[in-house]
Amino acid sequence: MLKISNVGKSYGQFKVLQDINLEVPEGEFLAIMGPSGSGKSTLINILGLLDQDYTGEYLLNDKNYKDTSDNLLSRIRGDQLGFVFQNFKLLTTYNVYENIEVPLVYSKTEQHNKLERVEDVIEQVGLAGKEKSRPSELSGGQQQRVAIARAIVNHPKLIIADEPTGALDTKTSKEIMDIFTKLNQAGTTIIMVTHDEEVAQYAMRTVYIRDGRLYHDAKDVFKND
Amino acid sequence: MIDKIMIAFKSIGKNKNRNFLTMLGIIIGIACVIAILAVGDGFTKTMTKGMGTHNDKGRVTISFQSSSYDDVTSGLTQNDVSTLERVSGVDHVKLDSSNTAATAKIQYKTKRESTDLNKAPKHLKLYKGVGTTIDKSDMSNIFISHGLATRIFKGESALNKPLIIEGNVFIIRGIYKVSDFNYRPDIYVSKDVFKQLFANQITQNIARIYVQPDANKKTVGKQAVQQMKKFGEDKQMGSYSVSNPDQISKTFTKMLNYITYFVALVAGISLLIAGIGVMNVMYITVSERRKEIGIRRAFGATSNDIRSQFLIESVVLCVIGGLIGIICGYALVAVINAFLPFKAIVTGYSLAISLSVSTAVGLIFGFIPSNKAAQSPLVGLLKEE
Repeated sequence: MLKISNVGKSYGQFKVLQDINLEVPEGEFLAIMGPSGSGKSTLINILGLLDQDYTGEYLLNDKNYKDTSDNLLSRIRGDQLGFVFQNFKLLTTYNVYENIEVPLVYSKTEQHNKLERVEDVIEQVGLAGKEKSRPSELSGGQQQRVAIARAIVNHPKLIIADEPTGALDTKTSKEIMDIFTKLNQAGTTIIMVTHDEEVAQYAMRTVYIRDGRLYHDAKDVFKND
Repeated sequence: MIDKIMIAFKSIGKNKNRNFLTMLGIIIGIACVIAILAVGDGFTKTMTKGMGTHNDKGRVTISFQSSSYDDVTSGLTQNDVSTLERVSGVDHVKLDSSNTAATAKIQYKTKRESTDLNKAPKHLKLYKGVGTTIDKSDMSNIFISHGLATRIFKGESALNKPLIIEGNVFIIRGIYKVSDFNYRPDIYVSKDVFKQLFANQITQNIARIYVQPDANKKTVGKQAVQQMKKFGEDKQMGSYSVSNPDQISKTFTKMLNYITYFVALVAGISLLIAGIGVMNVMYITVSERRKEIGIRRAFGATSNDIRSQFLIESVVLCVIGGLIGIICGYALVAVINAFLPFKAIVTGYSLAISLSVSTAVGLIFGFIPSNKAAQSPLVGLLKEE
């Protein structure tokens, strides 16, 4: 599905990511763990085609999008990727339906198909009956369900989730992770950033980041200390 | 596109007060444009109506001026028409009259004067009296002007009083007012009475010469005057000359141009200020919605989508302002009409201009903020909370 080789990124003299090599096959559920400031978010921004300012090579579905135009990148994000953010990043003045509809606005989906697809994902994440509710009227767990529904409404092949349970309690985190597990079982590739080991256990594989370097085994992380 | 328009309405509705205040500039600007254009159009229509038609393309006009003020019989004849039609380059000739009314001597008790008189128009708005037209069944019915009523009857009610015109007794059935911009005679009689008693006063003193397409108007006019000086039937009674409505048109056009420049200046200043207000509010909107821009970009919106989204919002804001401005403009025109001696008219083209200007203000002043929104780096936008 995706492969990155020797990827690095710096802000001036400060190296945020160094020599990152990672391959994620289609259908995998990968967790990326690491402390704050380790470069996790920077890495998933690159993986999610949100940040093109890096060195090295990144292939998504065997294609290198490094020099692709901004407009085409937007279309690829809209068609192939889905994002779930830590603080949900919902539009507060829009209701549940309108929030979930956002990706469909830019994928030129017909109006009647939009309705069907939004209703489908609302059902899938267990928010039936909440279509007209505003985010402020929902619990944290419900808001994250809306965010997941928005991420999957375009049927992406890859979901990138940045700390999807970061703002949730244990019980709600479990419910959200169950949704991710189901999506993965249905064939969606998931890359999830988390600092919570319990949450990471839902993934098939976990990699670790520390000081901008990627480790494939937890034992290697502190080896150089 | 529809999605973006809906998003624009939602965004505008979210900050009603702020956006209304922004629109206020557009509303005032457009209302002024509508009102001033209406006054200009009304003025043009009134002047054009007063001056008659000025479509003198392919036509030259010869007029006869009697040398005696009292002479009401001399003018142009059918023989003169034949003479004129023999002039090289003339296609055909029509006679007309510059006199819009007859003159009559009137008397009420011992008070006498000489005044203008004509047949009544089909509809006349009366200041006093009933109806809008003279009752044909009674030939003695007449309408008189408010000015004449004041002069002759001196505070007495003139309605249903007798008035002697050229020795015949008539009864005043209505009184009308005359505005400064529209000429009206002091007395209106019925069509039949006018035909019987006064029509012979209206002499034909204008010849409209229609020239052939390849002929020179000026040369034809010159030759026509020379011919009339030699062969005109009433050449001893007065003089012939080419009247030049082009000159009148030019002066009139010049005056209208000044009005147009004034309109453009007033509208330009108010809309420039309004546009700066729109630009300011769009900058604020873009700053407030950085998170939303980031989310939309992450979920497939291109830079162009974001640019067009904010441009549409700016245009929708201005067009709503423009529409409210048009309604206010209508109200303003109604108020102005209560004070003007002529009627200001809102025309279709002034509505089209107003809407086009509103759209243009939205596009011009919304472009830079929209461009800023489109070019913001995506990673930075997604860090916004």
